[in-house]
Amino acid sequence: MTSRNTLSYAYYPGCSLHASAGEYDLSTRELFRKLGIGLTEVPDWFCCGATPAHNVDELLSLSLCAKNMELAEKVGGDLAVACAACFSRLKTTQHVLSENDVKRKQVEKAIDAPVPMKGNVKHLLDILARDLGLDRLKQAVTKPLAGLKVACYYGCLLTRPTDVPNLDCVEAPTIMEDVLKAVGAETVAWSHRLECCGANFTLSRPGVVIQLSHAILDSAKEAGADCIMVACPLCHGNLDIRQEEIEGVYDTRYAMPVFYITQLVGLATGLGADKLGLDALIVNPMPLLKEKQLL
Amino acid sequence: MSRIGVFICHCGENISRTVDVERVAAQVGTLPGVAFSTDYKYMCSDPGQGLLKKAIQEQRLSHVVVAACSPRMHEKTFRKAVESAGLNPFLCEMANIREHCSWVHEDRDEATAKAIEIVGMMVERVKKNRVLPTITVPVTKRSLVIGGGIAGIQAALDIADAGHEVVLVEREPSIGGHMAQLSETFPTLDCSQCIMTPKMVDVANHPKITLYTYAEIEQVEGYIGNFQVTVRRKARSVDEDKCTGCGICMTKCPQKKIPNTFDRNLGMRPAIYVPFPQAVPNTPVIDRENCTKFKTGKCGVCQKVCGPGAVDYEQEDRLIVEPVGAIVVATGFDLYSIEEKPKGSAIKGYGEFGHGKIPDVIDGMTFERLASASGPTGGKILRPSDGREPKQIVFIQCVGSRAREKGISYCSKICCMYTAKHTMLYHHKVHDGQAYVFFMDARTPGKSYDEFWRRSIEEEEAVYIRGMVSRLYQKGDKIVVMGSDIAVGVQVEIEADMVVLATAVQPQKGADTLAQKLGISYDKYHFYSEAHAKLRPVECATAGIYLAGACQGPKDIPDTVSQASAAAAKVMTLFAKDKLEREPIVARVREAGCVGCFYCQKVCPYGAVEEKEIRDRQGNLVKVVAYVNPGVCGGCGTCQATCPSKSVELDGYTDEQIVAMIEAL
Repeated sequence: MTSRNTLSYAYYPGCSLHASAGEYDLSTRELFRKLGIGLTEVPDWFCCGATPAHNVDELLSLSLCAKNMELAEKVGGDLAVACAACFSRLKTTQHVLSENDVKRKQVEKAIDAPVPMKGNVKHLLDILARDLGLDRLKQAVTKPLAGLKVACYYGCLLTRPTDVPNLDCVEAPTIMEDVLKAVGAETVAWSHRLECCGANFTLSRPGVVIQLSHAILDSAKEAGADCIMVACPLCHGNLDIRQEEIEGVYDTRYAMPVFYITQLVGLATGLGADKLGLDALIVNPMPLLKEKQLL
Repeated sequence: MSRIGVFICHCGENISRTVDVERVAAQVGTLPGVAFSTDYKYMCSDPGQGLLKKAIQEQRLSHVVVAACSPRMHEKTFRKAVESAGLNPFLCEMANIREHCSWVHEDRDEATAKAIEIVGMMVERVKKNRVLPTITVPVTKRSLVIGGGIAGIQAALDIADAGHEVVLVEREPSIGGHMAQLSETFPTLDCSQCIMTPKMVDVANHPKITLYTYAEIEQVEGYIGNFQVTVRRKARSVDEDKCTGCGICMTKCPQKKIPNTFDRNLGMRPAIYVPFPQAVPNTPVIDRENCTKFKTGKCGVCQKVCGPGAVDYEQEDRLIVEPVGAIVVATGFDLYSIEEKPKGSAIKGYGEFGHGKIPDVIDGMTFERLASASGPTGGKILRPSDGREPKQIVFIQCVGSRAREKGISYCSKICCMYTAKHTMLYHHKVHDGQAYVFFMDARTPGKSYDEFWRRSIEEEEAVYIRGMVSRLYQKGDKIVVMGSDIAVGVQVEIEADMVVLATAVQPQKGADTLAQKLGISYDKYHFYSEAHAKLRPVECATAGIYLAGACQGPKDIPDTVSQASAAAAKVMTLFAKDKLEREPIVARVREAGCVGCFYCQKVCPYGAVEEKEIRDRQGNLVKVVAYVNPGVCGGCGTCQATCPSKSVELDGYTDEQIVAMIEAL
């Protein structure tokens, strides 16, 4: 086990964090630096295959993830993953390869290297809530998010698939709420926190995404949330970038900022808007944050 | 010189298809000591047994080997046949050439050679068999029934009506069990209370029945015909002899806010209470955990108002030892709880159905209380959250049942029928309401059952949707149920006012602990196991213990009552004789060799090994040796295998016999 004082991880940002979700990447690095947790980006990492690969070719999908894990081993430590889709794929790969020798041998042949099985694949939430611990997280808070009502949105990938050892309970997870309460925010009880937003149908079937994401926004609004918190760039894209479009289709108004978890936790630790990439959000969070005196 | 007869069975074609039985008969006929050998198509049939008997008499046989199926199947049959021909039954052995040979091999020559070897071994073994005398043990003609639900009540009444004393032990303060909680019962819709409460009164008034409510089994010792059962009568804090059941204590109790478990927590009760107005006995009990007097020492109102002075705060648990000859286990079932994830259980919770967080999501038993005339709403179907009448109600079947991923793979059997009943009761009471049922498939295999289910659809207008619900959530004062209709292939969303879950039937809590006390076996779900699913369905593998009702597996009332009467009949069969005959396959200790280490005592699963003092003529203690009580011994042979000085031998399985078998190979 890593010593509590020297937490350090191999960091796998994934494609989205280097593109549409730059603010997630930025806020993750800033927050972890602030918390004294080491992150070393995996050298030469590449796409994990996300959703398309495993639907097309299982061996390819497993090999992509295994190769990334092999690269990560050069850095050492557990693998820290920010994107929920990457997390789900990497975690699934580790599980499948540890259970199935035949597949592991195929993959090892494909990547021409042994698959490292020692390190754990960890989502940022896991690192904050368990490795660092809620008590130490509380100690790092300089500006508690008092009065901010947050709808914690897990989406479908953070706790799934069900047969893979997972971040938290599949049907009734609490880890996001735990972290947010530790930094002083209020969390709302709402119905759609585990529903799918349509994920990467966002380009191919936008109609589906609009319908599903609308239900999520509606449910958060009804529960009295000021904002939504996500841990996945795909969810963020659908709920934040498409929010105005959804409002247009359903003739309604949400103005519901959608934050990444690292942005909200970062705020509580005293990081400024520039270090958290708040200006990159499409739904402007500034009025809300000013109203709550958090900026 | 022994004159052994060997009889080779074809078992129809089961054996003869693979084994050349004629060759086996010819070959073993040449073995030393074999006087006669033959083969026959069905040895177990009447002509087959006749052949055996005739040969014993005509050939003056001294020993018999039947080469056929597993001794589990027909050893008793052939030993009986041998006995009727005048030989001691234990001079007959079976060679298993079916399960151990013909069924597991394909090559005819090799299988035949193996069959010859198997029979040859048994020939050598049977030469060493001794005449074993049947063991008889006395029978105490009283029985214990554990559990006072409909199963226990029926079994107790049947046994008592046959003239034998019965001790009925119930854990709760009143008998009646789950059936007393039900509203109407399928498939006739007669009210449960109307058919149950008179039986409860019969039990209480029966001169042959001793009723212990609020009592638990503490310890069970002994064996068939001779059990010693210790019953713990928990302190009721009310003297049953003095109490008149006037109920004034309950009305005066200042504590009135304890959830009423009989009403599935829908109503409240005081700290001194009877579970329901028709309870038997109608003696209140003080719930010490919630009583102010017991918690703080202040109060004592019930004692002050009690006219006959029956309230006794000092009362303590009492232990009573009851000698009985037979035990009927009828501990019943419990429902899988949606409210909490059972601790330490393999069963996973149903977070997606609200984990009991949504007040108007209830289980089937709670609905029974709502529909019951004696329930908290007087039989009106009202929502627990706001007391409104639900106009759209959704029933979800198979919650927990048939869900391998949740840890229960079996079908709970009663839910299809009770859900159909619920839709009817609902429609009878809420005429303008609409009931929906999400179901996987309807399983209604009982007399008049399918007609009942069809009626709920055709006459009572319940809408059945084939498909499961993925999740449900609260939206305003509605519950949105998200499911699929796989018949049409569409997603369905229903805004319901109330949702009723048909949750899985599980054994009562503590079923495993009781089984360990009784020495009976249970399956991975903790349902009790019968000795044989088809031929001995009400008996446990442990002699003298019988099963009735849902403690064995999910059962409806007709099945439960039938089984309870069957268990009672088994008890009566046992009590029909004054002495019990037991198989003499028991262990015996060679006292000269025994060094008194008592390893055998430690390993004996039946508790049959006792200590015996050996004294010389002057009465001085020479040594202490082991003694196996033949009445208790189950003949498992564990002691024989454990004994370091080889001083224990199991009759019928002596070292000499086993060595003879090995040497014959």
